[in-house]
Amino acid sequence: MMLRQDQTEITPLELYRLLDEGRTPFVLLDVRNDDEFAAWQVEGRHAPAATVHVPYFDFIEDEDAAVAHLEAYRELPIVVLCAKGGSSDYVAGLLRDRGFQAVNLEAGMIAWGDLLIAHDVATGSPLIVKQLQRVGKGCLAYLIADGGKAIVVDPHRHVEPYLALAEQLGVTITHVFDTHLHADHISGGRLLADRTGATYLIEAHDAEGAKFEFQAVRPGETLTLGATEIKLMPLYTPGHTPGSASMLIDERFLVSGDTLFVASIGRPDLGGKMDEWGRMLFHTLRGQVAQLPDDVLILPAHYAGVDEVRPDGLVAGTLGELRQTNEALKLETEEDFIRFLEQNQSEAPAVYQEIRKVNLAWLAVDEVRATEMDLGKNQCAASQAKAQHA
Amino acid sequence: MTTGNTIELDVRGAKCPMPIVKAKKALDALAPGDTLRVVATDKGSVLDFQGWAKTNKAAELVKQETASEGGTEVYVHYLTKKA
Repeated sequence: MMLRQDQTEITPLELYRLLDEGRTPFVLLDVRNDDEFAAWQVEGRHAPAATVHVPYFDFIEDEDAAVAHLEAYRELPIVVLCAKGGSSDYVAGLLRDRGFQAVNLEAGMIAWGDLLIAHDVATGSPLIVKQLQRVGKGCLAYLIADGGKAIVVDPHRHVEPYLALAEQLGVTITHVFDTHLHADHISGGRLLADRTGATYLIEAHDAEGAKFEFQAVRPGETLTLGATEIKLMPLYTPGHTPGSASMLIDERFLVSGDTLFVASIGRPDLGGKMDEWGRMLFHTLRGQVAQLPDDVLILPAHYAGVDEVRPDGLVAGTLGELRQTNEALKLETEEDFIRFLEQNQSEAPAVYQEIRKVNLAWLAVDEVRATEMDLGKNQCAASQAKAQHA
Repeated sequence: MTTGNTIELDVRGAKCPMPIVKAKKALDALAPGDTLRVVATDKGSVLDFQGWAKTNKAAELVKQETASEGGTEVYVHYLTKKA
């Protein structure tokens, strides 16, 4: 990925590649206001040569003073971004007029938050497992296929990429599965099930009172896709949500939802009963999860930072690796576990109650509000602050 | 708070950066003590006007309010031109 001299716009995918490859030095100029900049930033496997934050209204108020922040980088291309792409387009144009090589991130952080990158976990002999990374938010979805049938796990609000991927692979989506009632993003589960006629699966506690049809996941159930057996495992992890379910695929892959992440675990404090619910989470990790063998690959629903991305691009780790590196899994006693949760507790995400209502179909929101609610990075890990890279 | 005139600037429907670009231009034409009442529909304008106020040498952000106009939220910003 290179930036052309005459280029004025860059797509989110192109920006992702610049950051992922790390071969083209460039400056990232973020022109959003201080609050927006502090809350959520563009991240990738490699850092830009420099990240500069100068709000766009500083360019309007005193152009010379604002441009002075960039004089040191006159030799490098500058990628300018804002919330929706309008203000950054204005600033990029003004910089080009002053002889800089500046490109605008198309549709800004909204588009960055929607970018979905597919990675191969298993490539079809005959089982296909794809991890779909929503890189801006740190959310992960999966497509698992065998025998021409597919199950999609935790799809995001815009479902077109999942439909396109199924078509490209020549498979029919027969099941859509939400590992839990999401609180950080609006689920695309029901919409994708509606669009494909697939069965929508969710753990019964999590979907209590939901105003839509679903098939409840119960202990000991299995699904068969072609030659692959998928075991559905309800895991009781209250606090993040009352219940959640994981999928053990072919005894090799555990799609772990928000119960277990590569570097952390799902936060159990959103119900206001951290002590009680934290203890239940401890028993889930010590019970069902502890019984799984070391070579099972954990495929989580979230990641907090680039340190959870493997060299091959996947956000995953074997249970054996996680048992060595994931602090939360190493804690031996309930008391140590609760202390760990207390020490790492962070603020509750802003609109999580409202997002849950949307995901239960209790609340309908228009596209503008849905986009707004869906912005920003997930805050689902119990030890996010520690795991996150600046 | 002010003894000058109040001048209305309608930026309903305008997306950033236009509310601030237009407000900056409108302020240039005002006399000290005059107030510019900016009516915007872009929610992002609330924090952006506050941020702009920190570096704005020509005017002071004296008040911000939210109102509903037939189901649509509007964000109103009052800027008083400095002497």
